[in-house]
Amino acid sequence: MARSLETVHAKAKSYDWPFTVGDQRPKFPTQYTIPPTGRDPFRMLIRDYVKMEAEKDDRTHGFLDGVLRMGTAGEVQPRFMECMKLTLPGLTFAEFAAVAATGGIISSVQNQELRQGYHAQMLDEIRHTQLEMTLRDYYVRPWCDPAGFDISQKALHQHPGGLVSIGLFQNFNTGDPVDCIVNLNVCVETAFTNILLVAAPQIAVANGEHAMATTFLSIQSDEARHMANGYGSLMAVLQDENNVPALNRALERHFWHSHKALDGLVGWQSEYGATVRPWSYYDQWQEWVVDDFVGGYIDRLTEFGVQPPRRLAQADEDVRWSHHTLAQAFAAMWPLNFWRSDAMGPADFEWFENHYPGWHDAYGGFWDTYRQLAHPSSGRLILAELSGLPPFCQVCQLPCVMPRPDRNEFRLVEWQGVKYATCSEGCEWIFRTWPVAHAGRRQFWARYHGWDLADVIEDLGYVRPDGKTLIGQPALDLDRLWTIDDIRAIGFEVKDPLA
Amino acid sequence: MPIIDVLPFRACYDCGRNETILAGALRAGRFLRYGCRHGGCGTCRVLLVDGEVEQAGSSFALPRADRADGWILACASAPAGDCVIDVSPGPDGMALTEEEFLAGDAAGTYVTEVAEITRLTRDVRGLRLRLLDPGSIRFTAAQFVTVEVPGTAATRAFSMASPPSESGSIDLVVRVLPGGAFSAALDERLALGDRLRVSGPFGQLKVRLSHRPIIMIAGGSGLAPIESMAADLADRRNTRPVTVFFAVRTAADLFHLERLEAIRARMPGLEIVPVLSEPGLGWAGETGLVTDAVDRRLPRLSGYDAYLCGPPAMIDAAVELVTRRGVRPRNVHFDAFVRTG
Repeated sequence: MARSLETVHAKAKSYDWPFTVGDQRPKFPTQYTIPPTGRDPFRMLIRDYVKMEAEKDDRTHGFLDGVLRMGTAGEVQPRFMECMKLTLPGLTFAEFAAVAATGGIISSVQNQELRQGYHAQMLDEIRHTQLEMTLRDYYVRPWCDPAGFDISQKALHQHPGGLVSIGLFQNFNTGDPVDCIVNLNVCVETAFTNILLVAAPQIAVANGEHAMATTFLSIQSDEARHMANGYGSLMAVLQDENNVPALNRALERHFWHSHKALDGLVGWQSEYGATVRPWSYYDQWQEWVVDDFVGGYIDRLTEFGVQPPRRLAQADEDVRWSHHTLAQAFAAMWPLNFWRSDAMGPADFEWFENHYPGWHDAYGGFWDTYRQLAHPSSGRLILAELSGLPPFCQVCQLPCVMPRPDRNEFRLVEWQGVKYATCSEGCEWIFRTWPVAHAGRRQFWARYHGWDLADVIEDLGYVRPDGKTLIGQPALDLDRLWTIDDIRAIGFEVKDPLA
Repeated sequence: MPIIDVLPFRACYDCGRNETILAGALRAGRFLRYGCRHGGCGTCRVLLVDGEVEQAGSSFALPRADRADGWILACASAPAGDCVIDVSPGPDGMALTEEEFLAGDAAGTYVTEVAEITRLTRDVRGLRLRLLDPGSIRFTAAQFVTVEVPGTAATRAFSMASPPSESGSIDLVVRVLPGGAFSAALDERLALGDRLRVSGPFGQLKVRLSHRPIIMIAGGSGLAPIESMAADLADRRNTRPVTVFFAVRTAADLFHLERLEAIRARMPGLEIVPVLSEPGLGWAGETGLVTDAVDRRLPRLSGYDAYLCGPPAMIDAAVELVTRRGVRPRNVHFDAFVRTG
C-alpha cells in the first residue's frame, strides 16, 4: 500500500463516534477488558479488497461453468461425493455462524481497528456461504445421485453427525465475544481448518474432484486475514494481564471442542471419503495443529502468559482413532444418513493398517460384518447387531465410544437432577464449567425413543422421490437398493440409552 | 529511495540503493533474522515476490535452485527499485512475526569481562563472561553469540551453555584447536577481568513447543546448546520426557555432567546417557557410535522431537537414524558445529 493511501486508510478509521440512537448493548457482554485502539489487522483499502474478492469469485465461478460445459464433472470417486453431502452443509453452517459472530464482535468491541477487520471478515464469510451454496448447486447437476445434496442444510440439523458441526460452530456467536474469537479465529480458523481447506483439496483432486478444491482454496485465501484478526484480538486482550486466566480457559475449551468435532469429521471425509489417500490425517494433524499452531502460534504468545492446551497429548492419542470410530458409527447408522455409505475393502484395510498400526484388530471385524450385511437380501441391520446404542456426548455430540470403542472414556454427568453423557474427560470438564451452554440440546435417541426405525426415517424425510427407496444405503455397488419396506420388515426399535 | 514492502503483514521501510535489504531494515529500526551478515549462513533468506535486486555480496548459502525460485539473501541483496519480500512461515521461510519485525534488532553488542576460565577437558574450556554494558542479555536457549578474538577484528561463534534465566552472565564452551586464534588467546593471554566484545544473540535453533518426548544428541562441545535447552526446560517446569545422549571419545572428555545432574534434580523426566567411542577399563555405560547407542536405547522414536548439536558428520548420521526410527523430518532440529579455533 503506497504511503498516501495508508494516510487515507488511517483517516477513514478515525471517523468513529458513539451511537446516540438505537440500543448498542451487545447480546453477550464480555468479561475481558479491550483497549480502545490497537493495530489494524486488515491493512487494505476497501476498494482494493472488493476488487480482489471479485476476481477470486470470477475465477471460481468460471471454473465451475467450464467443468460443467466440458462434461468432466461426474468423473469423481463416489465415496468422496457421498461424504461431501454431510461435510459441505456443515461448512456452510459454519460460515452462517461466522457471519453472525462477526456482527456480535463488532457490536461488542470498542476498538476501531478490530472492528474494521471483523467488518471485512463478515463480507468474507458471506462470500464463502455463497460459494458453498454455488458448489452444492453445481453438485446437484452433474452428480449421478444428487439425493441428499438437495436437502442437506435441513438434514444437517436433523442428523447426529450434523449436530457435531452445529454444536461446535454455534460457539462462534454464542457467549462472551472474546471467547467466540478464540473459538472462531484462533482454534477453528488458525489451528484446525487448514487441514480441511488446504490439505483436503489434495484429497479431492486425487479422487477426481476439482470443483471442491477450487472453491475451498478460494475460501482459504481469505483465512490469513481472519487469522490476523484473531491474533490482533489476542494481542489487544493480552495488554491487560487480568485477562490471561479467562483467555487460557477459553483456549483450553475451544481447542478441545474443535479437536473432538473437526478431527472426527475432517478425518472421516479425508480417509473414508477417498480411495486414493495422498496422506494420513494423523500426519497432517501433527503438522498443522502441533507444529504450526502450538509450536509456532501459541509458542509466540507464551511470553504473555498464554499456555499451550493441557490436553494436547490426549488429543494426539485421540487423533489416531477418533475418525475411524466415527466412520464406524456413521456406517452402523447408515439408514439414518442422507448419503450413501461405502464398505471398506481389502485395499482400504491395507492402507489403514499401514498408517494406523492396530487398525485391523480394532475395526477390521466390524467392516467384514458390515459388508456381509450390506445387501438388502441379508434382511439384517448392523445397527441391530450392536449390544446397544451409544449415547451422544452432550458437548461435542460424538457418540460416546471415543476414541475407540474398546478404549472409550464415556462418563455420565449430573446437573440440576438430569444425567448427561460426555465422551471424555475434556468434554466433561467443559460441561461442568459451562453447563448452561450445553445442557439444552435434546439428543437424537431421546427424540425418537420407542420409535420404529422406519418411522424415524420417514419422519426425517430421508426417502427418495419414489416414496420407498432410502437416501442412505450401506454400499455403493448394490444391484438393489434398500427400501423403507426392508427396514420396516426388520422391526428395529430405537431405544434411548439414557432413558 | 526504494521502498521495501514486507509480506505477509504489509509493513514498509525505506532502503538505500547502496545498502542491502537487511542493512536497510536494521537502519530503519526494523528486524529481519540474520546471522553472519556475509552470505554464509542463510539465516536471512527471504522470498523476493516483486521487484529486482542487485547482488551486493556473497550468496554462498543460497543454492542455485532456490535463487531460481525467487529466494534471496537479505544481507547480500541491494534493491534496484521498490521491492516486495515475504517473510511468512513455511518450511524454508523466515517465519517472522510482525511484532518481531517492528521490535527491531534484538541482537546487540555487549561489553563483557572474563569471570571464569575452566579447564573442562584436555581440549575443552569453559568461559564465563559477565555482562557489563548492557548488564544483561535476552536470548533463547540454544542461540549463539560471536566473540571477538582479542587483539584482532576476527570473531568466533559460541553457543550459550547457560539458560536464558541467567541473563547477567553467559557460559560458553570452547573447543581448543591447535593453532586456533581464539584457542591460543584463551590458553595463553586471557585473564580474569579482561574485557571481551560480544555480539548476539543469533541463531534459530530452539525447543519447539509441543507435547512430544524429546531426544537430544550432543557431540563434544555441541553439548552447550543442548545443556542450555535442558536447563531452560527445567526452568519452565517441563513435564515432557527428555533423553540427552552426550557423545565423546573417552571418559576424560566428558564434562558438565554435574551440571546436567543438577538439571535432572529439577526435571525428573531428564535422562542423561554419556556415550564413549573409546571406553577405557571400568566404563559401564554406553559405548560405540552415538547412533548405535540411540538405536539400543530408543529403537522406536515415532512421536519424538529431536535436537542435534555436534560435528557435521555426527549430525548427518543422527538425522538419518532418527528419521529412520520414526521422527518426522519436520521435527528434527539441528545445529552443525564447524571447527573454528
